[in-house]
Amino acid sequence: MNTDTKKEKGAFGKFVESFGLPRLLITAFLLLLLILAPIVGADLPTQITNIIARFSWNGVLVLAMVPMVHSGCGLNFGLPLGIISGLLGATMSIEFGFTGALSFVMAILIATPFALVLGALYGWLLNKIKGGEMMIATYVGFSSVSLMCMMWLVLPYKSPNMVWGMAGKGLRTTISLEGYYIDVLAKFLRIKIGNFEIPTGTLLFFALLAFLIWAFLHTKTGTAMTAVGSNPTFARAAGINVDKIRLLSVVMSTWLAAIGILVYEQGFGFIQLYMAPFYMALPAVSAILIGGASVNKASITNVIIGTILFQGIVTMTPTVMNNMVHMDMSEVIRIIASQGMILYALTRKTEGSK
Amino acid sequence: MKSTRRLLIRLIAIAAVIAIAAWMMVIGRGHTIYFDNKPIEANGEKYEAPYQIQVYVDDESMGKLKEGDRGMATTMGQDFKMVLHITPEKDAKKVGSAVSLKIPYNMDGIVINLPALLGGAPEEVYQSEFIPTEVEEPEEEVDISSDEFEMPMGDE
Amino acid sequence: MNNNTAKKGNFGNFLRRSSVPLMFILICAVCIPLSGLSPSYLVNEIVTRMGRNAFLILALLIPIMAGMGLNFGMTLGAMAGQIGLILASDWQIIGIPGMVLAMILSVPISILLGMFCGKILNMARGREMITSYIMSFFINGIYQLVVLYLMGSVIPIKHSTIKLPRGYGIRNTVSLLSMRQKLDNLIPLTIKGVKIPVATFIVIAVLCVFIVWFRRTKLGQDMRAVGQDMEVARDAGINVEKTRIIAIVLSTVLAGIGMIIYLQNMGNIATYSSHSQIGMFCIAALLVGGASVDKASIGNVFLGVILFHLMFIVAPRAGAAITGDSMIGEYFRVFVSYAVITVALIMYETAKRSEKKQGGEQLKQAQLEEESK
Repeated sequence: MNTDTKKEKGAFGKFVESFGLPRLLITAFLLLLLILAPIVGADLPTQITNIIARFSWNGVLVLAMVPMVHSGCGLNFGLPLGIISGLLGATMSIEFGFTGALSFVMAILIATPFALVLGALYGWLLNKIKGGEMMIATYVGFSSVSLMCMMWLVLPYKSPNMVWGMAGKGLRTTISLEGYYIDVLAKFLRIKIGNFEIPTGTLLFFALLAFLIWAFLHTKTGTAMTAVGSNPTFARAAGINVDKIRLLSVVMSTWLAAIGILVYEQGFGFIQLYMAPFYMALPAVSAILIGGASVNKASITNVIIGTILFQGIVTMTPTVMNNMVHMDMSEVIRIIASQGMILYALTRKTEGSK
Repeated sequence: MKSTRRLLIRLIAIAAVIAIAAWMMVIGRGHTIYFDNKPIEANGEKYEAPYQIQVYVDDESMGKLKEGDRGMATTMGQDFKMVLHITPEKDAKKVGSAVSLKIPYNMDGIVINLPALLGGAPEEVYQSEFIPTEVEEPEEEVDISSDEFEMPMGDE
Repeated sequence: MNNNTAKKGNFGNFLRRSSVPLMFILICAVCIPLSGLSPSYLVNEIVTRMGRNAFLILALLIPIMAGMGLNFGMTLGAMAGQIGLILASDWQIIGIPGMVLAMILSVPISILLGMFCGKILNMARGREMITSYIMSFFINGIYQLVVLYLMGSVIPIKHSTIKLPRGYGIRNTVSLLSMRQKLDNLIPLTIKGVKIPVATFIVIAVLCVFIVWFRRTKLGQDMRAVGQDMEVARDAGINVEKTRIIAIVLSTVLAGIGMIIYLQNMGNIATYSSHSQIGMFCIAALLVGGASVDKASIGNVFLGVILFHLMFIVAPRAGAAITGDSMIGEYFRVFVSYAVITVALIMYETAKRSEKKQGGEQLKQAQLEEESK
């Protein structure tokens, strides 16, 4: 579904209906911020650099929503599970003494088996409880994050860069990636003009993964996945093994989340442990919804548009608001906009499924 | 017919609730009372402070006030009752005295000058509003409970 | 179906229903000796927490009755309660009258929020729980807008002890010293060193009676019918949408009042965080008491408070005793709270599916029989 073609075809009302009022408001709000930014004295190139940077950090995490939405498993509120696999990869890669770019590659390699196993278990569970995926996914995420809180304390990590200095054991809440994979992707082919900067490498990495997902969705298995999501009864009648396809989609989502958090960390510069992954699903969920996805429909375009809009608002609101009224309401605006978007999507009737 | 009766009942119920709220606002208004045992001069009259006054509110001692001391009590509603045990001179005998006052609704804190009150001075002499001194303080950081990072604990 | 298998099924059902409480009894049995806390301390704590939490947890029962699952949106009521308390303490209404006023102030806010929530939940049928969960975040945003920006600038707030130094917005903590435990201590009673908040228990008892009575009213019956089967209820002439909204409104109003009782015991409001976790704790406690997503009784509430809070008190100490690190116990109790909810949700969904399947198979069987005739 391309929203642009619809826009030309229909009348304004129809456009609003197809595009969704909240989405329209959010887009308008971001445009307003962009217009206001130079007027109130914020440096536009810096702002745009920030948006692009944050897009590059978060893109893969949002992309992780796509497979599960396609197979009808709903929005992946269980994203933290994948993030935990990524964190395990990251910390183990450092623990085993890898440094520089190699530590990033190793982190991905180590995270992968965790993501596959946890994803498979998670997928198996979601197959048992079809129809109640989202709520259970949320709580699977919460339980796993709080379980890992204990694990980060107990697991025998030794690297002095990661454990608490005094006790000599237990991982710190934030671990600096200096000397490891900070900016590994962003540094690659970085373009810099004055205040303006593009982390080409990270964008290319995201593009690669996005392309792979896009290509996958056009293979036989990929179309089967879409069929399962849009009409499971029909898919079953066509001889597709619904459970297997759903399992595959969950594993893919979990793996993408693991990679996603590693990409996020290389841009952010720190590994955040303990409660940090707790609510990480919500920004990703609202981003893809803002981009035009619904509970059972999502495309790569939705991911890109959504991440830009969401991160745009997150980065622009504080600066513009502070310059304008000296009142930082950005946090509140972000909460209302993103949660409102999720609420809106949940109240839409889903076609086909169930 | 039925619907109008229903409406009427609802209106009465709402009115009753509002009435209860108003009643609560009257009887539940909290005031902080400060008692001063200090000499005071007003309208050409001088009220000497006794050696010591012991203040009881609801049978509970609010402290022994020597000359120049200030005591404090919290009270609810506009009728304030206290019992004073006055010792005029050192080693002199205690004299008891029950006092009840009307407190103005809009004052949070009221200073009562006991010597003036005991000396039978008019209200505006013994009673004055307590105005807390403005304290310069650093801006407080507000930690918002957002949907991002949060410790899900804190039942304590 | 013969009698034997039915009996077995019942026993299995019983085991499944009581597996969570049994597990908790086990955890507590292990942790209590390890924690080294004295029985009298524990009893005191449990009694206090019973008074503090039971009302809030009871607020969850009505939506469960109406088949709307665990009301994660009870946070909405908690926020309304907090707004009531903030206003009452700014107006310097203290003690019990202050609490009553805060309750009266919270009710209209709760009703509005509840109606909004109910309307949205009607639009998100089949996804009530996740929607009410997201709803709590959304309204939290609005709550912050009101409390952090509008209070003091639009809504008059007089006292600088409540207001932020910048002139608008409410401080991180609002002291309720003038209301602290006023209800708990209204009728003082101490039995063998255990302080019993008699008045609070009376309020809780009144609510229990109300719930029992409410189940028998026409509206209560309608609610149960809606909870059992919406379509059947609709055919029977019940206004399903309205009934569901009323269920949520009632729950929200009760949660608001419950929050005020909770906070008078705590003695202060953490303006930006008191409400945020309350839903999770109450739901976990109810489930620990043996309730499920579609069935909960008053007994579950009280058993749940005892077991869940016993675990909550002893876990950090026990964790420290075992591992030498008190944080492990802290994380452990958080983990257990979430795990309990997760397990309960999974059991509910699997049971729902197998029921559906069974129904389908019976239908098939019947059809086959029909055909063979």
